[in-house]
Amino acid sequence: MPTPHSWNRRDFLKTASAATLSALAAGYARALPAPPPEKIQPTADTVIVLWMAGGMASTETFDPKRYTPYAPGLASKEVLSTFPAIDTAVDGIKISQGLERIASVMDRGTLVRTYTAGDLGFILHSRHQFQWHTGYAPPQTVAAPHLGSVIARTLGPRDPAMPAFIDIGQRFDLGEGEELKAFHTAGFLGSEFGPFVIANPEQAAASVQPPAGMSPGRFANRDQFYRRLVAQTPVGEYGSDFQQQSLLRSLDNAHRLLGSPAAKAFDLSLEPRENYDKYNTGRFGLGCLLARRLTEAGARFIELTTEYIPFLNWDTHENGHTRLADLKKSIDAPIAQLVLDLEARGLLDRTLIVLASEFSRDMLVEGKADHGVKNQVVVPDVINDLKYYGMHRHFTDAGSVLLFGGGIKKGHLHGRTADERPCKTIEGRVVIEDLHATIYHALGISPKLAYEIEKRPFYTTRDGLGRPVEELFARAAKKI
Amino acid sequence: MRFHVFRVFAAGWLAFAAGVPARGGGLTPEQIRQLPPPADHRVDFGREIQPLLEQSCLQCHGRGRDKGGFRLDSRTTLLRGGDSGAAVVPGDSAASPLIALVQGFDPDSVMPKKGTRLTPVQIGLLRAWIDQGLTWDANVTLGRTEPKNLLPHEPVLPPGESTDNPLDRLLAPYFAARQFHPSAPVSDRVFARRVYLDVIGMLPPPAELDRFEADSAPDKRARLVRTLLADNAAYAQHWLTFWNDALRNDYRGTGYIDGGREQITGWLYSALATNMTFDRFVADLVDPPPGATGFTKGIVWRGVVNASQTPEMQAAQNISQVFMGVNLKCASCHDSFINDLTLADAYGLAGIYAGHTLEMVQCDKPTGKQAELRFLYPELGALDAGADKTARLRRLAQVITGPRDARLTRTIVNRLWQRFLGRGLVEPVDEMEKAPWNADVLDWLAADLTARHYDLKETIFRILTSRAYQLPAVSWREQDGADYVFRGPLVRRLTAEQFCDAVSSVTGVWPNQSAAQINFNLGRSNAPAASQFPAQWVWSRTNAIQAAPPGTVYFRKTFTLPQLPTVAFALATADNSYTLYVNGHKAGAGNTHTQIDALNLQSLLVAGENTIAVSAVNGGDGPNPAGLFVYLYLRRESPGAPPEVLDLGTDASWSQTEAKFRNWEKSAPATTGTNWHPVVVQGPMGSGPWPLTAQFESALATPAEMGRIRASLVNADPLMVALGRPNREQVVTTRPSAATTLQALELTNGQELAGRLKAGAEKILAEPAAPEALVARVYTRALGRPPGLAELPLALDLLGRPVQPAGVEDLLWAVTMLPEFQLIY
Repeated sequence: MPTPHSWNRRDFLKTASAATLSALAAGYARALPAPPPEKIQPTADTVIVLWMAGGMASTETFDPKRYTPYAPGLASKEVLSTFPAIDTAVDGIKISQGLERIASVMDRGTLVRTYTAGDLGFILHSRHQFQWHTGYAPPQTVAAPHLGSVIARTLGPRDPAMPAFIDIGQRFDLGEGEELKAFHTAGFLGSEFGPFVIANPEQAAASVQPPAGMSPGRFANRDQFYRRLVAQTPVGEYGSDFQQQSLLRSLDNAHRLLGSPAAKAFDLSLEPRENYDKYNTGRFGLGCLLARRLTEAGARFIELTTEYIPFLNWDTHENGHTRLADLKKSIDAPIAQLVLDLEARGLLDRTLIVLASEFSRDMLVEGKADHGVKNQVVVPDVINDLKYYGMHRHFTDAGSVLLFGGGIKKGHLHGRTADERPCKTIEGRVVIEDLHATIYHALGISPKLAYEIEKRPFYTTRDGLGRPVEELFARAAKKI
Repeated sequence: MRFHVFRVFAAGWLAFAAGVPARGGGLTPEQIRQLPPPADHRVDFGREIQPLLEQSCLQCHGRGRDKGGFRLDSRTTLLRGGDSGAAVVPGDSAASPLIALVQGFDPDSVMPKKGTRLTPVQIGLLRAWIDQGLTWDANVTLGRTEPKNLLPHEPVLPPGESTDNPLDRLLAPYFAARQFHPSAPVSDRVFARRVYLDVIGMLPPPAELDRFEADSAPDKRARLVRTLLADNAAYAQHWLTFWNDALRNDYRGTGYIDGGREQITGWLYSALATNMTFDRFVADLVDPPPGATGFTKGIVWRGVVNASQTPEMQAAQNISQVFMGVNLKCASCHDSFINDLTLADAYGLAGIYAGHTLEMVQCDKPTGKQAELRFLYPELGALDAGADKTARLRRLAQVITGPRDARLTRTIVNRLWQRFLGRGLVEPVDEMEKAPWNADVLDWLAADLTARHYDLKETIFRILTSRAYQLPAVSWREQDGADYVFRGPLVRRLTAEQFCDAVSSVTGVWPNQSAAQINFNLGRSNAPAASQFPAQWVWSRTNAIQAAPPGTVYFRKTFTLPQLPTVAFALATADNSYTLYVNGHKAGAGNTHTQIDALNLQSLLVAGENTIAVSAVNGGDGPNPAGLFVYLYLRRESPGAPPEVLDLGTDASWSQTEAKFRNWEKSAPATTGTNWHPVVVQGPMGSGPWPLTAQFESALATPAEMGRIRASLVNADPLMVALGRPNREQVVTTRPSAATTLQALELTNGQELAGRLKAGAEKILAEPAAPEALVARVYTRALGRPPGLAELPLALDLLGRPVQPAGVEDLLWAVTMLPEFQLIY
């Protein structure tokens, strides 16, 4: 009878991490040393990206301009904001009506009003989203990794039982689904670092439980049986084989996650009803609750999206005003609650929350004021129907990014935009390389860090040129 | 993407050009005093100078590169200097700009810009060399090196039995030199499992394994390989995966949304199923006939695209990588640092595909220059730059597939070797400028492919019948980098598609419908072929084939089936869309008039009278072609007899109305009368603006394939993605094979696999058997052997008494998770 060997025989792997081994064996990317001095003292351990998918109009949210109420016969060129501005907890920062809860926690965060999206020509949301998430505009000669994958690859999980990159809220079988898949990937870094996808936060628990219909007892029994079987199979001569060890080890890891206490974090039904209700504005709100629970349980990178569906959610080609009133309702309370809950648990200081969108919107300008692109939405000169009242074109010259925690300044405003159309960036421009560099910086990662693929360096920010916006940090980062 | 290293180089040269001190007067006496003294011995060019130049200068000024017009190919080019004048003054190192630059008096213009500064000792050597008159061994050129693995070479076979596989004769001296004594070949069962998976991608059926093992013919292994290679359809469906990866072809993906991408699936499947010769295969992809244009069309995203990613540049990159095994991606932006290819090479090839003159763009900066149109390796044949695009593509295809191009053949045989033995003769397989671990084997296989008229199945046969292939598998080892020694095939892992097909082989549950639109009849000897009923395009008005007003038309037909068919599908399409009902129940819908849908009607039909009803919409703002085509594939199969054909289709006997009324789709009493009118026949399949004949023929074969579709033909699902099926946005020639945690999670609790195992357990339980026989059946199908003495009681225990469906599911899961199942050893 063959001797039981394989399950416990891990000497082979003890000398090297799985990532190293898989890198060597399978042509995965190798990290190149960043040029010194690039050791940065991290100010955050976890990142939560709150993705406002579809183009969030900044003049209707975090950068309100002159308010023009609706009245038939309104000239569209007069309209900059369709909501009045409200005060926030910070003097001198006003945001848009409907975001009162976020306004009340503005003293915990920093508002950037001058994120400038890339000039990619004729607008395609998924292409701008690709660029936001990878730093590179498609097509690319190698499969570019998602921001979360770079972080997962570079820092690994915070808790070994928790996937390092968790993606919440996006389904991929809707419009532009293929384009979304193209950047929800670890690309050349290898699927080990790809997103752990939870399409619906309410069903998150299922993703870390035994398959539907399988009791925990049966699940454990199946695993026991498998282990016995492995010990019996006559593959003794390949017992130390790399492929075999890699397979057994991966199954072991998966089982550890499924059985770990961390898995409870995925189960929203374990949240006290009172808290649950505070978040429950729908899928996005519950996603915020899930993000909080996962952060507590040791997640490294979480992205939570309002979900990109062409012409829905933030992708307002008509009825912008009416729809934004609802959208704001769905995000306002849960985002504020997320900030407060993390703060109450002492986690906000080490958790960087980034609310962002692929670009902003305007009623008239498509693209940039001086770099217009083909209009995609018909806007009448005179508005006689409420459905035309809203920001329906795609504006790339200034958009808002909201940051909380993770070493970021509290109650700070960055950048200035024009008060009249085009409401473009006037000072403090932040481009994607710099925003990524800022996120990486908070995590202690150099923007010049590169991974080698096909013998070439692939930089975490394009060409390694991203520069963190140092002004956003509460304290100057310490180089170590 | 671009890489900022180039910027540094570019900036460096500009500095060099601008910062060259005037001859003789560049350095002050003080600076001259600061220079390291010249070496005090007679310097040796080959030993002391050449290595220094290679390490510090050639990346920009040699091996075909000429930054700033300065080349270090030879003494002559060195003396000629660069765009900004002389670099050296023979006999006077202190007056030589080169020395000033390497000394770095001007911090903004130090040479070399990349890598480490020269040491004082090195500068002293250079000074002495200049002072001593720049001796240069005339045999040494630092110019562009002869490309490796390019031209044909057929090695002489070492002595041996003529019946021996030539590969083994070629490897004998290799083994002898390493004192490696090959073990006996693997057992029949291991061999059969390997070749089944390698040739057709499937597990061997247990009965075939038994028969093979019992066969005593000495040539049975070669015959098995031949038999598998002759199974054209199975071969094509397996190799479709490999070529879809390499040609980045998929049934959905980015680019299709804007018409920025085309599939080549139909052409590719046909090429594989008919075993198109490899030279013609490549020529078709390079100079494409209709159906094959998608490869060089690339993927075009909406919006502006970087110059290094234009469609023509993608074509150049992909042709270079896939067929020539060389990376042109770096050179698309700037002269490459990783191989000898230059920006001019990239534009020279891309320009062949451009409809207009291409200006070279270097790192996003237009250069104002154009590249001469040429293939990467001009020694393979010249192109006529003045010819039009059609002629250029034809000529390019001739050059790439011409007899002098043995890079093409070496690249593909190397890829096949890697597939079958786990590691290429050259590795990575896309760096064919590197030396193989055995040049004779590589060269011979390439020459053999040419000699055998580019028949890849012959190459596969050669490799799979070699003793090298039949050696016991060995484990991958970390030290198997540069000093790799061949000791046998590496243990490999099933691909995503092989795994899914293998699970299907065990359970009998296969995907229902193919996403790949292919002609299933190709490569099959018993093709079901022709339609059995003359179905027609129909509409409500005459001449709708040319134009009919937009709007909805309702169609119906009532017919009687004496007995229920055993196979019942509707093959339907409409311009522009339709919804189809059977006896009042919706059976399906379609909105793509370039596509024929197959709808399974099995559960909706009844014995007796049936009504099929279709609402069809002609879209658009004004009159435009309109038509509906429905073919009902209805067969009644009975054992031992040919199936009874009950086919029907749209024809003059159908009724239509443009006015919708209540219950129109239900089986109703009188279907004709005031509301219903006869349809107007527009013509048979192939008429009008609907060139769907080939697709229709393919669709006719689809019902027979329903429920046994292989994984290569369906869209990627989360299970396959987790197991490594790539996105196919980029060319993929090697899939990572290491298991990952996310993959294991998908295997452990993913819905895809759980669903398949559940359906599989039901199917297995439907075949009555004692528990012992059930376990044996699962084991033999999955692992090609009965359960061991220790395994059987464990498995029986898991199944439960009486056997529980959950027990069977869990047994299937555990067995398919075994390394013995998932690995090729």
